[in-house]
Amino acid sequence: MLIDADAMLGRYPRRDVGTGSITEALARMDRFGIAEAVVSHTLSWLHDPATGNRELLGLVAGHSRLRPCWVLLPGTCGETGTPDEFVTGALEGGVCAVRAYPADHGYDLAGRDCAAMLAAVAEAGLPLLVDAAQTGWAAVESVAGAHPKLRVVVGAIGYRQLRQAAGVLSRTGNVYLGLANLSSHCGLEWLVERYGERRLVFGTGAPLRDPAEAVTRLLWAELDDAAVAAIGAGTLLELLPVGAA
Amino acid sequence: MNAITSALWQRRPQTSVRIVDAHAHAGPYSLFFIPEASPGAMVRVMDRCGVAHAVISSHLAIQLDAAAGNAATAEAVERAPDRFTGYLTINPWQDPGGELAKWGADPLFGGIKLHPDLHDYPLTGRRYAGVWEFAQRTGCPVLTHTYDGSPYNDLAAVDAVASEHPDVVIIAGHAGATPLGIERAIEVAQRRPGVILEVCGSFNTGPDIARMVRELGAGRVVYGSDFPFIDLRISLGRVIFSGLAEGDQAAVLGATMTRLLQWRSGLG
Repeated sequence: MLIDADAMLGRYPRRDVGTGSITEALARMDRFGIAEAVVSHTLSWLHDPATGNRELLGLVAGHSRLRPCWVLLPGTCGETGTPDEFVTGALEGGVCAVRAYPADHGYDLAGRDCAAMLAAVAEAGLPLLVDAAQTGWAAVESVAGAHPKLRVVVGAIGYRQLRQAAGVLSRTGNVYLGLANLSSHCGLEWLVERYGERRLVFGTGAPLRDPAEAVTRLLWAELDDAAVAAIGAGTLLELLPVGAA
Repeated sequence: MNAITSALWQRRPQTSVRIVDAHAHAGPYSLFFIPEASPGAMVRVMDRCGVAHAVISSHLAIQLDAAAGNAATAEAVERAPDRFTGYLTINPWQDPGGELAKWGADPLFGGIKLHPDLHDYPLTGRRYAGVWEFAQRTGCPVLTHTYDGSPYNDLAAVDAVASEHPDVVIIAGHAGATPLGIERAIEVAQRRPGVILEVCGSFNTGPDIARMVRELGAGRVVYGSDFPFIDLRISLGRVIFSGLAEGDQAAVLGATMTRLLQWRSGLG
């Protein structure tokens, strides 16, 4: 079974990736044999997190294959409520993960401004998803150290960041890597050998990325079926809040 | 589901199509860690997926030393001639004429590789004159790195050299690389029949590849991966899920590149 931990709904302004509709998302999942997907909304990323988070819940209501993922902001301006209000709303809405865009939203993930929000997210048992381009590895390590209960999944690491990722994975137990655009030659196998398959989470980056990349990378990996199953769904299910799996 | 995706879902190598990787390298690269960069490990990955052949230029050749790197490419091909063909890397600053003279007639090499971005030299520059003359005379295909917006190898540069050398087969590596670059690469290829689009890179998608084939024909688009720079399976997945008709997919995956590598047989 494949569960996509890295997917998105909504329009995208910088290339043609379709309309971002539920219908397109489900059709894409069917085409690639993906059972379920954790989805956030481009409104939350590229326009207004509070509005996007609210709209997302309405969009996925009644679609059991789509699990909502909210976008967090530091609590400094109250845009998404206090940290407690944010995580309470998230859990009540069935949100299973939160995503952060520190670079695009103009804050330091490891700074004091974000600490209370991350603490609340960690306490709620919600995994934090963040793309490598949105923050530095030092910030990832700092956040993971400051919030040991927080599980941080770093996505879209590309093929140039194994040196940095390996150091952080070695020194932490609560940092994971997403499979979307994890494109180092033989990198997936190398990571599994060093850190185990439970540090890797399947994700496609759809619709911005072609799901064919992650699906092909995983199924034709030089890994046994148990490792592929763990990466494909098992790791993510263990990261979800209690009751969500 | 076709035979290739069926093999993928069963986690076994595909055997239904001859796959030729038109854009590959070999060896380590200083900017980042590659876990297993050796030609031997590359063959193992090819076997895992069912890729028959790859056309390679060593990372040493493109990154640092054309002479030593071309020798490394030749050695890798000599060790596995059924699996590899070499691209002769021409660095305009490192005796381009000498490298062409040394290796041009050697069947270990089936193409020429240019990387203007890495060598800080424009594709249109006169130090490449010998390359175009050789390619014109022999039919040897020339793979050049391309990247939209680059001062050295954007699509305007490809357009210019293709216009000046209409009979040369120019493989536009990465097909411009970015979404806008892909758009421009298709436009250039529509104007210049000698231009072939190669599809590896970080931003290409199956729908982009399908559009290239729709607008240019399957004989103008070739699969490449850039491995071991980038994992082979990333680009391969895009092609096999792109929804191309079986014949078109076979052309993109290998038949066209196989044909382009046959130029020596016509030299007499």
